[in-house]
Amino acid sequence: MFENIPVISLIILLPLIGAVATFFLGRYERYAKHVALAFSAAAFVLSLCVVYAFVTVPDASSPGYHDGYQFYEDYTWIETIGVHYTVGLDGISLPMFVLSTLLCMLSVIFSWDTTLRPKAYFGLILVLEVGVLGVFTALDYFMFYVFWEVVLIPMYFMIGVWGGPRKDYAAIKFFIYTHIASLAMLIAIMAMYFEAGLNSFSMERIALVSPGFDTGIQVAIFGALFFGFGVKLPMVPFHTWLPDAHVEAPTAGSVLLAGLLLKMGGYGLIRVAIPSLPAGAQELAWLMAVIAVVSIVYGAMLCLAQKDLKKMVAYSSISHMGFVLLGYATLTQLGVTAGVFQMFAHGLVTAVLFMMCGVIQHKCGTRMIPSLGGLAKKMPIAATLLTAGFLASLGLPGLVSFAAEFLIFASMFDTWGLWLLVPIAAVAVTAAYYLWALQRSVFGPLTDKIDTSHLHDVSWYEGLPVAVLIALIALFGVFPMLIFSRIDAAVELVLRVFGGG
Amino acid sequence: MADLAVWNSLEAFAPQLVLVAFALLMPALDYLFKDKRLLALAALAPLLGVGAAVLSWTLLGIGDPPVSQLPLVQVDMFSGLFMLVFLAVGVIVVLASPEFIRNDRNQGEYYALVLLAITGMTVVAESTDLIALFVGLEIAGISSFALAGFRKSENRSSEAATKYFIVGGFSSALTLFAISLFYGAAGTTEIAQLGPRLEAMFVQFEGTDSLVLLATVLFLAGIGFKIAMVPFHMWAPDVYEGAPSPISGLLAAASKKMGFAALFKVLLLGIIVTKTDWDIAVAILAIATMTVGNLVAVSQTSIKRMLAYSSIAQAGYILIVLPVGTEYALAGGLFHILTHAFMKSGAFMVVAALGAVAIGERIEDFKGLSRRSPFLAFAMTIFLLSLAGIPPLAGFASKFVLFSSAVYGSIDPGPSWLIWLAVAGVLNSALSLYYYSRVIKCMYMDKGPEGPIRAPPMMTVAIVFALVMTFVLGLWFDSVLELCMRAAAAFPGLPPGN
Repeated sequence: MFENIPVISLIILLPLIGAVATFFLGRYERYAKHVALAFSAAAFVLSLCVVYAFVTVPDASSPGYHDGYQFYEDYTWIETIGVHYTVGLDGISLPMFVLSTLLCMLSVIFSWDTTLRPKAYFGLILVLEVGVLGVFTALDYFMFYVFWEVVLIPMYFMIGVWGGPRKDYAAIKFFIYTHIASLAMLIAIMAMYFEAGLNSFSMERIALVSPGFDTGIQVAIFGALFFGFGVKLPMVPFHTWLPDAHVEAPTAGSVLLAGLLLKMGGYGLIRVAIPSLPAGAQELAWLMAVIAVVSIVYGAMLCLAQKDLKKMVAYSSISHMGFVLLGYATLTQLGVTAGVFQMFAHGLVTAVLFMMCGVIQHKCGTRMIPSLGGLAKKMPIAATLLTAGFLASLGLPGLVSFAAEFLIFASMFDTWGLWLLVPIAAVAVTAAYYLWALQRSVFGPLTDKIDTSHLHDVSWYEGLPVAVLIALIALFGVFPMLIFSRIDAAVELVLRVFGGG
Repeated sequence: MADLAVWNSLEAFAPQLVLVAFALLMPALDYLFKDKRLLALAALAPLLGVGAAVLSWTLLGIGDPPVSQLPLVQVDMFSGLFMLVFLAVGVIVVLASPEFIRNDRNQGEYYALVLLAITGMTVVAESTDLIALFVGLEIAGISSFALAGFRKSENRSSEAATKYFIVGGFSSALTLFAISLFYGAAGTTEIAQLGPRLEAMFVQFEGTDSLVLLATVLFLAGIGFKIAMVPFHMWAPDVYEGAPSPISGLLAAASKKMGFAALFKVLLLGIIVTKTDWDIAVAILAIATMTVGNLVAVSQTSIKRMLAYSSIAQAGYILIVLPVGTEYALAGGLFHILTHAFMKSGAFMVVAALGAVAIGERIEDFKGLSRRSPFLAFAMTIFLLSLAGIPPLAGFASKFVLFSSAVYGSIDPGPSWLIWLAVAGVLNSALSLYYYSRVIKCMYMDKGPEGPIRAPPMMTVAIVFALVMTFVLGLWFDSVLELCMRAAAAFPGLPPGN
């Protein structure tokens, strides 16, 4: 289908053109959202074509195929130090790639009523899309890092300009915190580049020799990468930037932050750190597991204590991304595959939750759980969507998170036996805080703390993206193999270095 | 024919001759031109002309291998690269000047001094001899003292000039003393000969000589003032703040780089044989310079002082080159000097542009700038992000090469503690992001006075030039890095390091 078309570059380029077009709309700023929607939708449609053309187990001789990657493109960029522009997709990056184009498009729709500096707002969403798509397709470390950092700037501005009351603090904290993590990753990349001594930043070429590094060096480099990716994930104890950023960010910002930016950390671990440095990963697997379990349990406990609905959802992300790390820590075929699947699942679910928080904030003027109550009476559609989102997030069987979490637990039981009981207990806490929050905000008697006489239900541009996401959550909950089989095939290739996985 | 030989020997001095001729012409033109903006055009002509000539030399590879017909100077890739930096900064400064000094007297002298300062810098870049080096330093130094005090009726400007003059004079004395000691120890002032002579002497006396060490320390101190290395940095913020903004840009982006040209020549070419004596000390100074610069920058309220401290920090990054001491590191240093010239002078020109429309120099004055002038706010944001080392901008590319050279240095030629230079550099970059992003926050996120402002046209050209270079050097730096590598190859004593 795409034999001679550089389709990935095209999909990355579309939002970039859209962003430039949006920034330069001049007086016609009321059309910013239309332009942004057109370009993000075009990127989304093209990415669906990519999904259609993607082959689960490809034939090695097919065009655009290169050692596990499809739609492969490779151009020399900076010859002196061996930097290439290399992109490609495999079963691990494909779900993230489509998730990115989907969530960016839905965020544009969700922000339909933005009136404050719309040109910049929609332009930044598109710039962010460029960065995220680049991260998920890059197969060259230099390029990977460039896109990784490109993501930070639009998010910094989104929080800082369109954010809540403490936006200044949250924006700078987010920027500095994640930048320090990136720099740790940068030093690790440099060390790998020089240790490999190939004068090439190609991920594939370095991954061929890096498993042969001394264990000590592997542990050191893996540690730096783990820190760099882990802050983004985020893992306890480096999670404190996340609640601040989320609480202050505008809804679309939160959706993209939780739905895509956190995934960059999880993606980096499985694309870069684990397959390139297998000995380092094995040495530090215990650390990954401990941090994962602490993040799951601690994140869930923090959720219990939150009064702000959005802050609760933010902390729940820490807990749920802990599952990703837990899956990886097993270093087994099943665990890693389930971890990647959990990233995809969490991306869909958390987008619903943040969008519904945005709706409640928008309609009720507050997100404080004690001030809410009985919203189901006034906003039945919103209540339904929020309930569906909560149920999906707490892992109701038949919805996408259940499939992911169940498989992670299965792999954990295989690896560590009854330690499984600790994260399982956290799932009970998860159910508790979601149901408790639901009870206090949506059901029960109608609140008298806010004026409910003019309460409207969701607007079309808010309800539509959420409904789409919930449909997908149900679809992939019932048919997880649609995605799981693709991830599984790719993970098998990635885990070759562990000797059969 | 004898005069052909004379012409050949003049070739190496041709850039300086052109620049000096135009510098001498300036006061006369001042009488002729009613519209003083024409003076700026007259000053641009030699800068652009010589710049184009040097650029074509470098691209054609003339000077690789080095061309030398005169005892004191030689044209090579290293000098070509530095001259390009100086001339480019000169172009930006001259473009930004006419609106800035439109109400001042003695504009002819102003441009003459700018041209002379750049002449001095180019002499340093071309020098192969300590004496020529010193003469170049002095030509540039004296012209810059006068430029810093150009607005002599303004107290701040006069104070800046006085401070700069006293410190500059002191540092010249130290440098000269160091040169005389080098001569005493090695019996030559030719930089390339210092190493072999000293080595021969060490063999004879079985060990290094404390005289050479003393000379090195004095030289480091003398040039340390020029490049504002901690602990010789105190003058820089006061002078940058007091001097006219375009001149602050000249000092930060060009004059400082001249100091680095001198430092590289003497330490990496001349006395590289004694590297183990001074590398730890310079490494500590490098880390101290970047850390002090960044820490103090955080608490500044004046944008020019903040930029001054930030350029102290940048000098600290470039100092990494010396202890690592590989060709790759030197290439990274040269590359960073090049990118820093554009991003720092660009930032100062934004300040100058705002100064020209009577907006103050405090960080608070930048509040709401994104509404009043989207272009200036965007340009400033890009320059600051580039200074912080955010990809895909120029500052990231050059810092990447610079820091990675320290990582590689710790793996290959060693010693392994070099990795800490990269770690310190990286942590400092993160720290610097804090104060840069505060300015960005002021421009985009805070409410400020209303009313659109328009940057003067020539300044806009200067800023656009710097802006384009900041993007180009970040995205397509292949050929530039290649040039830097070739320039670094002119230093025979260095291991390759990549």
